[in-house]
Amino acid sequence: MKKRTLLLTAAAVILAGAAVAGSVFFGALETSVVSKAVERPLGADEMKWLAERGAYVAVAADCYACHTAKDGAAWAGGLPFETPFGTLYATNISPDKEFGIGAWTRAEFHRSVRDGVGKGERHLYPAMPYASYREMSEEDVDAVYAYLMTREPMRVPNRENELSFPFNIRQSLTFWNLFNLRREGFATNAARSEAWNRGRYVVDALGHCGECHTPRNLLQGMESGAYLKGAVIEGVEAPDITKEGLGRMGFDPLTLARFMKSGLSAQGSMTHQMFEVVHFSTQYMSEGDLQAMAAYLFDLDALPATPVPPPAPAPVEVPAPVAAAGRGTYLNLCAGCHGADGQGIPHVAIPLSTNASLRLASPRNFVRAVLHGIPAQRFPGLERMEAMPAFTELLDDKALADLTNWMRARWGGRQPIVTDEEIAKFR
Amino acid sequence: MTTETKPLALTVNGRPVGPVDVPEGLMMQDFLHEYLNLTGSRMGCGQGICHACTVIVEGEGGALREMRTCITGAHWFAGRTVVTVEGHARHDAKGEIVLSPVQQAFIEHFAFQCGYCTPGFVTGATVLIDRLKRKPVARAELEQVVTEALDKHICRCTGYVRYHTAVRDLILATPGLVSG
Repeated sequence: MKKRTLLLTAAAVILAGAAVAGSVFFGALETSVVSKAVERPLGADEMKWLAERGAYVAVAADCYACHTAKDGAAWAGGLPFETPFGTLYATNISPDKEFGIGAWTRAEFHRSVRDGVGKGERHLYPAMPYASYREMSEEDVDAVYAYLMTREPMRVPNRENELSFPFNIRQSLTFWNLFNLRREGFATNAARSEAWNRGRYVVDALGHCGECHTPRNLLQGMESGAYLKGAVIEGVEAPDITKEGLGRMGFDPLTLARFMKSGLSAQGSMTHQMFEVVHFSTQYMSEGDLQAMAAYLFDLDALPATPVPPPAPAPVEVPAPVAAAGRGTYLNLCAGCHGADGQGIPHVAIPLSTNASLRLASPRNFVRAVLHGIPAQRFPGLERMEAMPAFTELLDDKALADLTNWMRARWGGRQPIVTDEEIAKFR
Repeated sequence: MTTETKPLALTVNGRPVGPVDVPEGLMMQDFLHEYLNLTGSRMGCGQGICHACTVIVEGEGGALREMRTCITGAHWFAGRTVVTVEGHARHDAKGEIVLSPVQQAFIEHFAFQCGYCTPGFVTGATVLIDRLKRKPVARAELEQVVTEALDKHICRCTGYVRYHTAVRDLILATPGLVSG
């Protein structure tokens, strides 16, 4: 009798568990932030004025950078995303009726951008930052929709994703969404200024900064407890951009706003994915939005009138043999372009005495730049920086460790604790 | 301000040089020009871009490497063996000058006009041929390999095609550099 009760209880628990899992899987617990209002199609006039606005919103949300493959057709997708679960390919969002989103309704577009559920209830993978776009306003999503419909339709089929089981089952994203998707859309904080709120909207919703700068949890969702505190992405550190992190790198709010516009600052030039962010997105942002973004990241209601740079970190003592070796390498291989005192050459090589990567806790970005180099890059306003050569063949682990320790101690105020073994890992 | 110096000893074009006191931050280009009177390697951009200043450095196992002297400190070359553009030609038994195969090929192909970039191209082509001696290239990839090797050298007279043809023809005429 007792055994039977146990069995029955176990069966009931399993059934209940299965029922819960099933209801999650079939989307019963999914929440939508999309209102019924978007089921009404937009009129031709609305589409026209929205499209003009949408050009700016799409730039601020940086849609193009991911939805256009290198040398591929505009808006036709195809850019690969390497994930721990396989490779995803960005989709065609040109208005082609067969391969793009030309046949998508306004409501379907809203659901895909803000809920992560596309046409035909197909779940999107969160490489599409719908967890961030979820906070976009209805009007902004409408504007992007209208804008995309004015682009040239591209007859480019979508590439099949290469994902392992069970990640190839789109419906399983319901579980990811349950844990990683906030219930609500954007909420204004009445206690803060308009600029601060706009800044949060630009940073979180449009700019989706947290997708790279916030570390990911085991489920690959953004770890809310470490919001914008920095993460490693494609082997490069997307640094801590909280006000503490930005200050440690040497930024003040006005300098940061200029950096997002120009891609250049005393702290260095934009590289890796941030180079593309400036190239495709932030250089076109309005002064107001850039300043709002800076105000929010520094948690200010208003920006100061003049830049007040944070004090440079105090140099740290380095053992004499490390200093001699590090300085020797610097003068032999670095000073030719970056200057004997790290002052750089305008339009050619960035200064190093104020470089942010030397001030970060991890030597990763600095060491990777030295080992692998940085291609020549053009920046807004006819500005450019020449290529940084790769020094992987010219420096052994010991020489690079000494160089790293000496430079970080001298200009970054960091203790000389980088080991040869740590350097070897970055090769 | 005093300039701190350090003794420097190296081998240039087969001859031992130094030890001589050289400022710590002096670039190799200035050392070659001002200390050794070897003015063949050209100062072009001074930023490591045009490659008119390159010289050959012998690495481990004798493999040759191209180094930009305008952005590399003289002291980096301490103890190393360097060949500047002055070190390619030699004298034969009769005392006549014999150009290196690369130099000869450039003359025959009228590869250069003003000649400012030529020391760099001679260096680059010589390093490429040394590399192919160690690891021959497939015929189908030859054009590409020549382009990639010379690509970084800038010629303002735009003599690229003749430089390219000269180097390619020399490689094809030299046994053992091309496979397949």
